[in-house]
Amino acid sequence: MSDTDTAKCKGNRQAQTVGSGTALPAEDGVEAALVGWLKQTLDKRVFDAVLVPVEVPAGDSFAYLLLRDPAILDNASPLPPVMPIQGGKVISRLTMRGNGNQQPEAARIAAVVRPCEARAAVELAKLQQAHLDNLYLITIDCPGVLPLSDYIEDPAAGAARFAQAAAQRDRSPMRPTCQMCNHFSMLPAPISDLHVATLCSDGTLSIVPGSPEGARVLEEMDMPVETSLDGWAAQVEAMEQAQTERRQQAHAELRQTVAGADRLLDVFSSCINCHNCQRVCPICYCRQCYFESDALKLPPENYMARAERKGALRFSPDTLLFHIGRALHMILSCVSCGACEDACPMDIPVGQVFSLLADRAQETLGYVAGERLDEALPLVTYEMEELGHVEQPYVAIYREQEVQDA
Amino acid sequence: MSEERSFEPKIIYFMCSWCGSGGSETAAAHHLQYPENVIPSRVNCTGALPAVHIVRPLIEGADGVVISGCHPGDCHYNDGNFRARRRVALVKSLLDTLGLESERVWFRYVAHGEGRRFVDTAAEFNDHIKKLGPNPLKTRSDT
Amino acid sequence: MRKGLRFNKGAEETVRELLRSLLESARVSGVLTLGRTGGADGGVAYSLFTDPDAFGTDGVALPLLPFMPANAGGLLSRLTLKRPLSEPIAAVVRPCELRAFIELVKLNQGSLDNILLISSTCGGVYPLDVGANGSLQERLPQYWEAVEQGELDDDVRSTCRACGSFVPENADITIALLGETDLEAQCTLYLNTEKGATFVDGLEGAEETPMPGDLETELIQRVYSQRAACQDALFAEVDVGLKGLIDTFGRCISCQACKTVCPICYCRLCYFDSQDCERPLEFYQGELKRKGGLRVPSDTVFFQLGRLAHMSASCVGCGMCTDVCPADIPVSTIFSKVGASVQALFDYQPGRDVEEEPPLRTFEAEELAQVVM
Repeated sequence: MSDTDTAKCKGNRQAQTVGSGTALPAEDGVEAALVGWLKQTLDKRVFDAVLVPVEVPAGDSFAYLLLRDPAILDNASPLPPVMPIQGGKVISRLTMRGNGNQQPEAARIAAVVRPCEARAAVELAKLQQAHLDNLYLITIDCPGVLPLSDYIEDPAAGAARFAQAAAQRDRSPMRPTCQMCNHFSMLPAPISDLHVATLCSDGTLSIVPGSPEGARVLEEMDMPVETSLDGWAAQVEAMEQAQTERRQQAHAELRQTVAGADRLLDVFSSCINCHNCQRVCPICYCRQCYFESDALKLPPENYMARAERKGALRFSPDTLLFHIGRALHMILSCVSCGACEDACPMDIPVGQVFSLLADRAQETLGYVAGERLDEALPLVTYEMEELGHVEQPYVAIYREQEVQDA
Repeated sequence: MSEERSFEPKIIYFMCSWCGSGGSETAAAHHLQYPENVIPSRVNCTGALPAVHIVRPLIEGADGVVISGCHPGDCHYNDGNFRARRRVALVKSLLDTLGLESERVWFRYVAHGEGRRFVDTAAEFNDHIKKLGPNPLKTRSDT
Repeated sequence: MRKGLRFNKGAEETVRELLRSLLESARVSGVLTLGRTGGADGGVAYSLFTDPDAFGTDGVALPLLPFMPANAGGLLSRLTLKRPLSEPIAAVVRPCELRAFIELVKLNQGSLDNILLISSTCGGVYPLDVGANGSLQERLPQYWEAVEQGELDDDVRSTCRACGSFVPENADITIALLGETDLEAQCTLYLNTEKGATFVDGLEGAEETPMPGDLETELIQRVYSQRAACQDALFAEVDVGLKGLIDTFGRCISCQACKTVCPICYCRLCYFDSQDCERPLEFYQGELKRKGGLRVPSDTVFFQLGRLAHMSASCVGCGMCTDVCPADIPVSTIFSKVGASVQALFDYQPGRDVEEEPPLRTFEAEELAQVVM
């Protein structure tokens, strides 16, 4: 991790109260207000380029565009109803080969993303798959996203459904992982440079600085940071509390349906090994996945012997190994975005299962994915004394039990 | 009881090349024995044992996996055993959450000269697995 | 001279019994076919079966189920990738799966040795989401009714409805299904090769019948024309001009699932996953200068065009790609359409003949004058 990345350590962890923000007029709605503001930043050269979702030509989806032409911004949708590609993955593709040579065209790029996308970008930066030096992360209070295939079936109806649900703070039409998300805002601590606070109880819109760089942007835009956000913070805290309870409940119920060899294999019984989940996951970055490598491509005698031993061998083999193995590789960085479940052609609740595994594993290792850029990844570090429960105690010399004859 | 006697667990014992294997060699020097169904598998350092390889035997037909390496502070590569401890914690958390019997995985430090401790671990784990019974994943052909 | 066997029991029973006795008599060591996974409400997957009980009346094997969770041609390639099988197995596969396997053998990705290839005249398969939503079982009666008429159920994959290669050409044994009346009470197997005949020699319950030289009845001939008409209609639905591709693939999320499930795409590391396609920030900055904006990640349509260039000559039109696309893009229709024109250009049919060289591996001294300026 470069010095610049460390220096850009996000977050003012001390304060629980967020302080103030700058108000943004929003007569025509959140998206219009934001698009207008982004145009001004491009105009004033505060940002050189903007990375933001834009409607695709056929009007049936959205794609991230890196742009500096304000005319293209007219079709931008900073908070679209769907998340076709996870923004963390987009940021990684943009910056994985380094920071560029600081050409004026893209010295400062504003990336408008949802909180889970920002957290994925932070994880990817730690995994050396993204460089956030040039980037200003701008997050928004997130109402969730619709499952992609629901939206594509009828985009107009999907857009309407999303708008209504967002306005009513109703997460029921959203992805299952969105329904139990408790990381939809910037509290308890910001990870982005700027955050767009939409959940104000009085219906106003504010931009909150989350870092010194973010504060500087607002200064350059001549936007005084004077609006009190206590109301918003209280609202968000209450919602997060409710969502946390909901998440714990959902996880407890899910665990009942998935625990034990029988139930687990039932849940994954329709898996066709397409590996979509791995492909769309922002954290899964390996050019060649271990589970597609030669390590698991074995001579026919191996497959026949295994088929012999068990009476049959599911083919292609290693379905369960793929899911458990992928979990072992990535759940410590999982941000529970649910991209995996959206992409699964067999409707397996893989996002929910992985989010359950992730919460438990991250808790065990005292880590929360994507919260702090300067916090080392849990498997890269250790304490001298920790995790005693993992060691098998050796109390006294053990004598092998004598087996009674029947 | 007779069922327990007829079930011979298949156990993989991962040991590091330094203390772990040393422990087994010391045991041999003292003519100590451990059950024949415990299969030793040497890795260079427990820190180099990928998490996937702890789980893979459990899916393919093993009933239990033990991992032994140097005590904290004694690792030949300085901190491999600390990393191994975190990795085992990750594996156990996952197995626990999925109800796959995390007690089928043991992690215990064994020093180079601890021959008795080494064979005791093998014997103790063997009895422990016998009580647990065969791994339910073992006979599943749809894994 | 093609021999045949007629059984006086239903098709499903016949096939199950055949496979069971092949295993029990140790004529084969394993059978690759579909079977139930998980519990009673579980899914369906291909399995390499070694236990004959799997083919009993209550067994988990479902050899004739109209479902394709993976293209079995790719699975046979996986099985024989490192070296040929040393013991014989039987594999029950659909004509497109068989053609895919033969293509893969030509591409050095597998071996035909020791595999008894069993196929059928194909009535299509249901899309993956039918398996996912649990409605597969209840559709079976209407499926078989349609097959007996030589027709396809409306809800099978659209590429199946447009498929003209539904009579398997390189199978050792062909199960006659399409257009066969009364599949609940009788079943005919065509033994196309010596190998096929040897494997089933002496099996119980079969009456050896001299068969007409051709599998292809009048009804089958009619089906060919019906399918051709369907194909014309299907291909007309997609615009494969540049604007059409940009519009269609606008919602592509670059997951490359289409490539992963494609039996023909076998590269260990796809070009489009390699470093060559990892764009440095300078690339995006340059595009920003030129165009004012660029999609991130880039190369969405390029990937599709590249994959078309790499594999369309061998595309067997199985339809796995459409089924697996998270954005509901009709990938298979597009790839089959382009594939058909590429294959016509080279007068090449994928999977027709294992000795036939793939078009880009051979040439004539005089040909394709229309391409040269």
